[in-house]
Amino acid sequence: MPAPTEPDDPLLTPAQPHTLIAFLVKEPKTTLSRLYQRPSSCLSIFRLVSPLERQLIMNLLWLEAPVPLSTMAAWVVRQYKKVYDEALHSLSRLNILHILQDKQPLNPTQDEVAPTEDKLALNPTFKTSLRQAITGGGTNGSFGVPAEKDEKRDIEALDGYALERWETILHYMVSSGTGQQPASPSPGVLALLKGSGLMMAPQQGHNLRITSKGFQFLLYPPHAQLWQLLIQYLEKSTARHMDIVDVLAFLFMLSTMELGREYSIENLSKTQTAMLTDLRDYGLIWQRKSSSRRFSPTRLATTLTSSSPPLPTATSVSSGPKDGFIVLETNYRIYAYTDNPLQTAVLNLFVSLKYRFPNLVVGSITRESVKKALNNGISADQIISYLMTHAHPQMRKNNPLLPVTVQDQIRLWELEKNRLKSEDGFLYNDFTSLADYELVLNYAKDLGVVLWENAAKRAFFATIDGHASIKTFIETRKRALI
Amino acid sequence: MRATKGVLLTCDAAVKQILLAMNEKQFFIIDDLDDNHLLIKADMEYMVRRELEVELEKNTYSLE
Repeated sequence: MPAPTEPDDPLLTPAQPHTLIAFLVKEPKTTLSRLYQRPSSCLSIFRLVSPLERQLIMNLLWLEAPVPLSTMAAWVVRQYKKVYDEALHSLSRLNILHILQDKQPLNPTQDEVAPTEDKLALNPTFKTSLRQAITGGGTNGSFGVPAEKDEKRDIEALDGYALERWETILHYMVSSGTGQQPASPSPGVLALLKGSGLMMAPQQGHNLRITSKGFQFLLYPPHAQLWQLLIQYLEKSTARHMDIVDVLAFLFMLSTMELGREYSIENLSKTQTAMLTDLRDYGLIWQRKSSSRRFSPTRLATTLTSSSPPLPTATSVSSGPKDGFIVLETNYRIYAYTDNPLQTAVLNLFVSLKYRFPNLVVGSITRESVKKALNNGISADQIISYLMTHAHPQMRKNNPLLPVTVQDQIRLWELEKNRLKSEDGFLYNDFTSLADYELVLNYAKDLGVVLWENAAKRAFFATIDGHASIKTFIETRKRALI
Repeated sequence: MRATKGVLLTCDAAVKQILLAMNEKQFFIIDDLDDNHLLIKADMEYMVRRELEVELEKNTYSLE
């Protein structure tokens, strides 16, 4: 008797794959194979795939001969077969796993062939490089060549630099809607923001305005924000004639570097040297001056593929862990224990701020403030999830975390906006007989374009796209009747 | 058999009554379909939404 599947089993619902994986599967297989020649790239991609896929790779890494599919499948419990199949499928799309088919004729004189035995093997390039990465062999400098005159960089200074660069970008995005003019980031960054749809220029000139996608971007955690910008950068790099393998390899090399050490730029290709200026603008690396022959990565770079926080969060208020600072009361009042201007600006998007103290910002969630946010394209769910992720540890003793009244009211204010729904299309009425009406209605229903129908009035409403097909249908019928 | 071009509005009964009252001043309704649906002229949709919002705002109160 097969065991019943439990719908809430966390192993059965796969976690969201990393956004970079979605980008990599779109690349041709030859590009991926070239990328796998560098051990640091293999190691970084290994870190990004899901735990099950990692286990599959490790199982096959030290085998010389391919393994029959049936042997691997025997390891899998029947319940989780679907997850296993998806993992295999995703690994083969990344060109990490090869499924080889092996046909051997039973007897040369007969035409029968033995049943094909599919075998699994790792991509040989990937296998060699990953082995090198783990055992530390090879001298191709793919993990970065440390500079000879190695002065240890002050980690705090690096963190401060990264934080300042990153927050300039985000601050610029937030304040563009309120008319203040903060320091603007470099033109390269502005071009990236425009290209990714996070900001747009309504008229020619330097005033970029934030879009609704930009507002949603502001509420994401820093890792997601960083990767979204980097993927945009990758997509633009092909247009700028930069070799995408070089760009990706450099990013992966950065993610395996050690924080606080300096690395020389000798081993970098032309593409990668050109990338140095861009990466400096995003706060990923630090260089004393742009002609310096050394650079050192900041925390933003070294945590690209890991799950530790990429930025040191404000440590001036030491109450509680660094990422929770909002207290929300049932009377819609918010107390945010922060002095970070960026966090205050983000709160200003949907909270009506009342008082500001050196370590505290007080405000309340009002109908106006939430409606303003909704009109800017932020959804109620995003507001609620932002409040939940940044909830102060004191709030943890409430169950549920946020007061239900406030959550429901934010959702109701969102529904208020949606009281009226509209659709373009055509109304068909004045049918001569019920049979006629039903014939045309069924045809339209098959096309899936019916939005409203009423048999008593013998009328129905269909979308604009359906109109052309319905018209031709009626005309062919009319001609058939004559 | 007739085909009329227009915009189908789906709403609750209360909003529909407000729209019928608004129609007295500026005519935009082509046909009243049922309790929750109206057919209006295609180019008047934006104006209708704006006027409806103004009307609904009259019923809200704020503390400030």
